[in-house]
Amino acid sequence: MQRRLLYRTLLVVVVVVVALYQLYPTVRVSGLEGKLERQLTELSRITGAPVADLRSALATGELEGKVRRLLADEPGTLDRATALVRQIIRTHEAVGSLQDRAIKKGLDLQGGTYLVYEVDIPGLLDQLAHNKDERFQEIVRASVAEMQATGGDFFDILRRRFDESNLRLSRYFGKMGESDDKIISDLRREAEDAVDRTLEKLRYRIDQFGVSEPAIHKQGAHRIVVELAGVHDVERAKRIIGTTALLEFKLEKDPQVVQATISAIDRTLRRIRSGQADTTALARIDTTQRASRKAEEAEVDVSELFGQAAEQVGVDTGQVVVDRQTFEEAPFSSLLRQLPGVTGEIAVPVQNMRTVDRLLKLPEIQNAIPRDAEFLWSSKPIRLGGSDYYLLYLVNRNPELVGKYITAANVRVGAGESSLRGNEPRVTLTLDTQGARIFARVTGANVGKKLAIVLDGRVASAPVIRERIPSGNAQIDGLDTMEEAKDLALVLRTGALPAPVEVIEERTVGPSLGQDSIDKGQKAAIVGAILVVLFMVFYYRGSGLIADFALALNIVLILAALAAFRATLTMPGIAGITLTIGMAVDANVLIFERIREELRTGKTVRAAVDAGFSRAFVTILDANVTTLLTALVLYQFGTGPIRGFAVTLSIGLIANMFTAVFVARVIYDHILARKPVTASLSI
Amino acid sequence: MEFLRQPNLDFIGVRKYMYVLSASLIAIGVISLIVHRGPKYSIDFLGGTAVQLRFEKPVQIGSLRQALATVGLGQAEIKHFGASNEVLVRMPGSGQNPSLVNDVVGAMSRVLADNPVEVRRVERVGPKIGGELRRAAVYAVLISLALLLIYISWRFEFKFAVGAVAALFHDVMITLGVFSLLGQEISLTVLAAFLTLVGYSLNDTIVVYDRIRENLKIFRRDTLESVINKSVNQVLSRTIITSGTTFLVVLTLFFLGGEVIRGFALALLVGIIVGTYSSVYVASPIVIELERWAEARKSAQRRPRPA
Repeated sequence: MQRRLLYRTLLVVVVVVVALYQLYPTVRVSGLEGKLERQLTELSRITGAPVADLRSALATGELEGKVRRLLADEPGTLDRATALVRQIIRTHEAVGSLQDRAIKKGLDLQGGTYLVYEVDIPGLLDQLAHNKDERFQEIVRASVAEMQATGGDFFDILRRRFDESNLRLSRYFGKMGESDDKIISDLRREAEDAVDRTLEKLRYRIDQFGVSEPAIHKQGAHRIVVELAGVHDVERAKRIIGTTALLEFKLEKDPQVVQATISAIDRTLRRIRSGQADTTALARIDTTQRASRKAEEAEVDVSELFGQAAEQVGVDTGQVVVDRQTFEEAPFSSLLRQLPGVTGEIAVPVQNMRTVDRLLKLPEIQNAIPRDAEFLWSSKPIRLGGSDYYLLYLVNRNPELVGKYITAANVRVGAGESSLRGNEPRVTLTLDTQGARIFARVTGANVGKKLAIVLDGRVASAPVIRERIPSGNAQIDGLDTMEEAKDLALVLRTGALPAPVEVIEERTVGPSLGQDSIDKGQKAAIVGAILVVLFMVFYYRGSGLIADFALALNIVLILAALAAFRATLTMPGIAGITLTIGMAVDANVLIFERIREELRTGKTVRAAVDAGFSRAFVTILDANVTTLLTALVLYQFGTGPIRGFAVTLSIGLIANMFTAVFVARVIYDHILARKPVTASLSI
Repeated sequence: MEFLRQPNLDFIGVRKYMYVLSASLIAIGVISLIVHRGPKYSIDFLGGTAVQLRFEKPVQIGSLRQALATVGLGQAEIKHFGASNEVLVRMPGSGQNPSLVNDVVGAMSRVLADNPVEVRRVERVGPKIGGELRRAAVYAVLISLALLLIYISWRFEFKFAVGAVAALFHDVMITLGVFSLLGQEISLTVLAAFLTLVGYSLNDTIVVYDRIRENLKIFRRDTLESVINKSVNQVLSRTIITSGTTFLVVLTLFFLGGEVIRGFALALLVGIIVGTYSSVYVASPIVIELERWAEARKSAQRRPRPA
């Protein structure tokens, strides 16, 4: 008996030591991080640079260079600063070496972004296909719609739809006469390959961006998950990662064609609307008021403009700005503006953008646009007279030149061609010989026209071609900041992604909210724990102390297990731990109540303790296994935070079995071993 | 000290009234769900964009709505989130537009130029992901119920398993009803809370069942009703203490854990109350009803058929 107690005591001690060993790096890292923070603040005071900047320079290994540049004219302070930089680097390295074995804080706790990209397989097909025609587009569109509705496999759906419409796949893909089986399997491989190459390219871009601990991995067949911990400038990161960098040069249509197209759209819209004009839409626009308020702009509901057609159009039931005067004859034109100083293009007030965009996608209106042309938006709005406007361009559908001919992309500061854009940053592109030849031909043949530079379907800039450009140098301007230009050059240099990607899920937590979450979570956990601990001592006296000790050990074990499994602590995870605190005492309550019952029946202390533990154990096992089952299901079906919760809950339950039953028993046995048989128990 | 020393309350005798109470609570919840056309799902399940913003000074919802109207987003849902200078803007279904967040922030800083704004959190879920999650949630609930049925049937008896699962349905329906009545939305974390309350409620039920199983062996001559009543009384003080400590902790989570975790804590608060109640008044009485039903069938078979 004494021997067995010794062994069990040893086991408890070993578990505690292992747990503390696992927790050591976490404790150390949090200390070092505090030190790093202080050192960086000190450096920021000396150099005048913001802490966030210094931190990102530290992450990319440019801190010393940066400090040297900042303090180039002050040799005195420079010495002090460089000494501090060395210390900072040492602290940073110490953190780095321990970080792997410390508990990681989830993105929701330290701030950061969780992004799920989906590789656009239909978009990839569109790039791969040749002889694309209306029927092809229709089948792809229908297949996409079916995939979204049913969640089926895209390629299976595509193949069936091709079969149904008696079209051979070889007409669009692969070689003539190839079997559909082969083509589909080739396309599948191509798609898989595209996802892998996209993953590689994203990794490369993120490395260049200098994020300290990016996590990038594939999820399922077509998805890529990117986790950026502690990134402060999320928008910028997203811009770099998510830019497909599909660069195209497209000629803009002549103004006459643009005018004719808009008139055609106006006619079409009038026709759509006249379906119910007499009863609804037009009747509600107050014509008497219109007469008195000449050419006045007013905010109206979209539904008011288009009546029931609005639903058919599928537009938001938001507000748009229209010119009431022209609305009746030209419903589409009334949404547009002609801006002074902006030559040629159509300007659209930012409020109207969504409506215009949706209108343009209507099949009837698509038919009113020339087959070889398409409307594209400018990549950013221009500001005029206190309002923002996006520009709308009508360009040739087929590009003159694409980005694959680019050999280099660099940032320059404009050399004052026009006084307006004198010091604006711009990106210069160098084309290879073939690209230069095409560029020379295109510019030569189209002097006086505008050439739209299209990045991922948005017009970055549309300069007028002044003369034939034989050198193979093109440039993109209209960039606001140096940083933006650098980022654009980076994505163009690393090359286009093999297939377009789309963010299908984004969860971003700002660092301040992360800190708030930690503070609040910790506070709740501590207050909750104190309340429980006090109650247990109050209600069970000495035995309550044992339960409290078991509870404390339980929390240590949960944290140690998180560190050992390299798990990540999230806000729901903290909630899971807090909940475990509440439920952890359950096992001890069960045991204690049982012991009290047994004592009431007149058993000796030793017998009561024995019976209490052994009888309660069955119950505890059953109760915990059932909870564990739900935790496992949560883990299997959950994503991100839910998984974190399931993990901490499961670990908590198992740790709880050990501390509340095994450890508590060992303590009891120690107490009882020193007591005479007739002693009473503090319970 | 002790709260209840060997209580002897007649739980089973009053079970018929409790059936009425439970049925009414569930009915109220179901009616609320029908009126509101199902649970109010968060963007996790529906798809859409949510932006949490913090302003330097308190803001009025009306002025924010005007600001958003200038970029055509006048229909977005805006509400205060915790403090009066913090708001949550939700735009359902517009998960596709990448510049949406910029539009929102741009419009606000233009209109409220003297009140700087900080983006604290952005959540954007595509409609496809939302659909997948809804499917996964249904599977998760069904599979966990199936696993529990199997485990409890194995450890106890099938009729106990039915009682436990009925109690779970009861708890989930009532909690869902409370959420519907309060206009609280069901997000991923709330779903996790629901599954946790399933685990918790079960935990409670199992403790009672365990004592019934033990007492059935000891008091062989007693009726099932009296054994169950005795068992519930015996574990009553444990039930009260455990529910009490857990409730205490969840209450601190609710008040101190912050806005993000509040829905989660609310689900658990309601869940602990109904979970404790259901292990006494739903799970065990159903075992009695099942037993009676089985006996009635048996005796009906034994009775000679009229010629």
